[in-house]
Amino acid sequence: MTADIHSLVGAYVLDAVDDLERAAVDRHLRECDACRTDAAELREAAARLADGAWSVPPPRLRDNVLAAVATTRQLPVETLRRSRRPYRARWLAAAAAVVAAVGAGTAVFTVQEQRVREERSVAEAVRTRESEVRDILAAPDVVLRDQPLTGGGKVTVAYSRLRDSGVIMMAADAAPDGGRVFQLWTVRSGTPVSEGVLAVGQTSIVKVVAGMSSASAVGVSVEPPGGSPAPTVTVAGVKTI
Amino acid sequence: MAERGMSRRAEHLTPVPGPGSDVPVGANDLLLAVGRGDEEAFARLYDLVAPRVYGLIRRVLRDPAQAEEVAQEVLVEVWRTAARFDQASGSATSWVFTIAHRRAVDRVRAEQASAERAVRAGVAAIETPYDEVADEVAGRLERQQVRHCLDDLTDLQRQVVIMAYYQGHSYPQVAELLKTPLGTVKTRMRDGLIRLRDCLGVEVTA
Ligand SMILES: [Zn+2]
Repeated sequence: MTADIHSLVGAYVLDAVDDLERAAVDRHLRECDACRTDAAELREAAARLADGAWSVPPPRLRDNVLAAVATTRQLPVETLRRSRRPYRARWLAAAAAVVAAVGAGTAVFTVQEQRVREERSVAEAVRTRESEVRDILAAPDVVLRDQPLTGGGKVTVAYSRLRDSGVIMMAADAAPDGGRVFQLWTVRSGTPVSEGVLAVGQTSIVKVVAGMSSASAVGVSVEPPGGSPAPTVTVAGVKTI
Repeated sequence: MAERGMSRRAEHLTPVPGPGSDVPVGANDLLLAVGRGDEEAFARLYDLVAPRVYGLIRRVLRDPAQAEEVAQEVLVEVWRTAARFDQASGSATSWVFTIAHRRAVDRVRAEQASAERAVRAGVAAIETPYDEVADEVAGRLERQQVRHCLDDLTDLQRQVVIMAYYQGHSYPQVAELLKTPLGTVKTRMRDGLIRLRDCLGVEVTA
């Protein structure tokens, strides 16, 4: 994937990648000096594009910002190093809980449901350092695929043959109607295998899936609460071969 | 590569004036002072970067009221996290505009996620890359330089860079809007930026 990552540097610097790709590039930049230098230089160039957008702000903006600053405490350096943005801590907790539930082999995803429901949850979860997700994203052969969901939203799959595992990230614009729920699937030897059922009202999830080498596709369906043994209404399908 | 590295380092050698000095200092020195809690330095940094922070966000969001709100968030964030700025990894202005751009793009994506407005907005936007700044203060030197350097890119390079940076589109969205393969779009973003870098130099003199 290094070739892939290298070709992404321009899009990365322009903020034209999704959060999953950003995580993969960030990871690579921590390890590759040449790319880090490249990215830093291209970022300088991209930042100069802000010159081209020069525009006089309303005068009250200055007063408002200076007033806010006078009452805003600065973050000490150590805090910044430990957790990039403290207000994201809740997302870390939510994502960790979700991943832990998955790791324990349970298909119940009610943990932190309200937080996970918020639209940014997938993005925030991906930014976490949760090791399973990180390992997969950092795999040298990681492949990223995404598909829109019927009804709005997106499912993204990252998988690595080397790690024999993948991450399914789903964020729907809205919960299915009629009290139904989303269910995740992989297709193995032509047979759909449930990879988890979301709670009623839950619209997003980050799910680590083991044994991805034997999966030919990932799917999302809409099911009655508690899920079904086989998909009823498929809303997205992502080929992984 | 080596030359560029040197020019960036040279910038860090700007003499730091003593306390109370009225000698203008660069954004790097100001941001370092802000990181030590210097509110006066923050006010000066504000004057230096606010028109670009606000202008950039407004350009991406296309809505002055929202832009003002996001610009305030960004500038307060600069104050809050200034201690994190590490001048070894880039200039202060780049650090600030990176935060601003990212925040503006996050806001646009959040909106895009709730509607399929990408295609409509994008197609409209391709036609008018510069309309919004036309009435702004004319003759800014940096702006001329950036525009000159943008003109130096191939049409496709310029288009993909503008659509991503000024309009907040992801590269798959750009590919779809331009009916161009994903790989081509990624590559043009990268080599377009390289050309831009070479035209501008990576020094940031603000
Ligand atoms: Zn590299």
